Amino acid sequence: MTSPQIEIQLIAAVVAIACAIPGVFLVLRKMALISDAISHSILPGIVLGFFITHDLNSPLLIVLAAITGVITVILVEAIQRTGLVKEDTAIGLVFPALFSIGVILIAKNANDVHLDVDAVLLGELAFAPFDRLLMGGVDMGPKSLWIMGSILLIIIALLLLFYKELKVSTFDIGLSSALGISPMIMHYGLMSVSSVTVVGAFDAVGAILVVALMIAPAATAYLLTSDLKKMLLLSVFFAIFSAIAGYWMANILDASISGSMTTMLGIVFLLVYLFAPQKGLIAVLYRQQQQRTEVSLLTFLLHLNNHSETEERHINHLQEHINWQKVRSKTVLNLALKNNMIEIDENIVSLTEKGKEFTDLALEYIITNKDEKIEPMKDDFFLFRG
Amino acid sequence: MFSLGFINIPVLAGKYMKNKKIAIQVDDLTVAYNYKPVLWDIDLHVPEGVLMAIVGPNGAGKSTLIKAILGILDPIAGSVCIYGKPYEKQRKLVAYVPQKGSVDWDFPTTALDVVMMGTYGQLGWIKRPGVKEKKASLEALEKVGMLAFKNRQISQLSGGQQQRVFLARALVQNAAIYFMDEPFQGVDATTEIAIINILKELRKAGKTVVVVHHDLQTVPEYFDWVTFLNVKKIATGPVKEIFNDDNLTKTYGINYKVAVNK
Repeated sequence: MTSPQIEIQLIAAVVAIACAIPGVFLVLRKMALISDAISHSILPGIVLGFFITHDLNSPLLIVLAAITGVITVILVEAIQRTGLVKEDTAIGLVFPALFSIGVILIAKNANDVHLDVDAVLLGELAFAPFDRLLMGGVDMGPKSLWIMGSILLIIIALLLLFYKELKVSTFDIGLSSALGISPMIMHYGLMSVSSVTVVGAFDAVGAILVVALMIAPAATAYLLTSDLKKMLLLSVFFAIFSAIAGYWMANILDASISGSMTTMLGIVFLLVYLFAPQKGLIAVLYRQQQQRTEVSLLTFLLHLNNHSETEERHINHLQEHINWQKVRSKTVLNLALKNNMIEIDENIVSLTEKGKEFTDLALEYIITNKDEKIEPMKDDFFLFRG
Repeated sequence: MFSLGFINIPVLAGKYMKNKKIAIQVDDLTVAYNYKPVLWDIDLHVPEGVLMAIVGPNGAGKSTLIKAILGILDPIAGSVCIYGKPYEKQRKLVAYVPQKGSVDWDFPTTALDVVMMGTYGQLGWIKRPGVKEKKASLEALEKVGMLAFKNRQISQLSGGQQQRVFLARALVQNAAIYFMDEPFQGVDATTEIAIINILKELRKAGKTVVVVHHDLQTVPEYFDWVTFLNVKKIATGPVKEIFNDDNLTKTYGINYKVAVNK
């Protein structure tokens, strides 16, 4: 690896982590779309800052853009509060308006400078190592690494300081407010941090793809864990993985780095969506299949429980009595046998002690809907897990 | 004459009010959503140590009243005092159980973690919960019979269990006043009894408990104090004295019997 290659991967990873952390809270607050709105509507802020400083990496530009981001959120909420339109409509109204102002400003005034619509939309990581930070003539490394690194450090510091506040205000606004942890402060704090992050990441990945960096790692992690801390760690892991893997994918395909990173994020999400052990598509389908079988089993056991007469319990007549397909009857019969819930004596099926006990418990659960009694059964049966 | 009048004052105020401090005092409270008032000019004095139901039809402003008392909503007029001071200064004296439906139960967290959130108010900003807070939370979970579920992800709990976790979270706040927004909504009979027993214990310990309640039939059995609310305050006082046809009709209109028998 050459040193620019290492630098690009480092920048990509830092950008991805910085986006992933606020992304977790945006996803949990069901505000993924807001990040889309912010990433577009900060454009006029960036352009204005650029006109003033003529430097895409100036701190003033970040501040102005972050302010535009917060203004976006305020506008969206103001339109929403009128009660005339819903939140998604409000977002759809605000950000194209602000974005288009930015586009017009660029087209009118910055045609021949280093700020064009393409770079704004997609960013260009490959050029990042060329813009160096020089201190007293000494090369300190790429400027964007310093900027994004500082933003990341601020994000991590804020997360560590306000983890508890972020958690409670995200989970329960009412309680948070009653406890004196102002949800309003947390909300605008998160919006400001998101805006700053988006501005910082803008240069590297552009307005469209930054949304993917914020949302995809969090959405992927959400499918894998039910613990907020683990969700944050997993998001960071997916962010780093996609950044590095995306870079090499771009390298091999000779394609856009930001495009490859986002594709990587998409692939990772798809894989997790399919194969996640609890919430994954395959696990869910398997569980539904199991539940169907278990319901059949229960129906079958209840039938045996309800009928003492032998003709109702003859192995060959079960099908007509419960009205099932042959295959299904066989599966259920085998399942019950395997679990020692029934015994077959001269083709007459009867419940064993275990089968009776199980049926009684299940019946009680169905009638009372009380969880305590069936707690030990939850490990063996999907049916009883909520 | 003067001394006689002085002695008689507590009697006149009703035997329940005798020597009792006012825990919650609401004066001229008006709350509006989009300039449409949902609570009109509410005056409410709740004495310390009562278990009070707030009853009224849908849209009567029951939840709104609680939220306005707790400063979650800004009233357009009026004031609220908790033991004689504004709520902001008395936060630590107050615990709140929002409606179960107001939060996302798919949130990645455990039962114990949710209960720990009750300690955040006492901790204040930035400080993290430690061993002491964890111990208190575990005790609260035990009190509501949910200790066995402490590490269960909250979406894996039944409706009644979720409500118990919420109650444990309020208990851990160790407050003087408890506000509960429909704690019996969507819970089974066992949980309902478990919850009301804990609420009665709280009252016995001298706490004040305010509950938004829907089931009129259980009001006399569960509560000793009641407030009838329908945008305006209809009546407030001891259940024995004011829980009658007259007030029910005023609150629910002529169809209140339907509400009772639902």
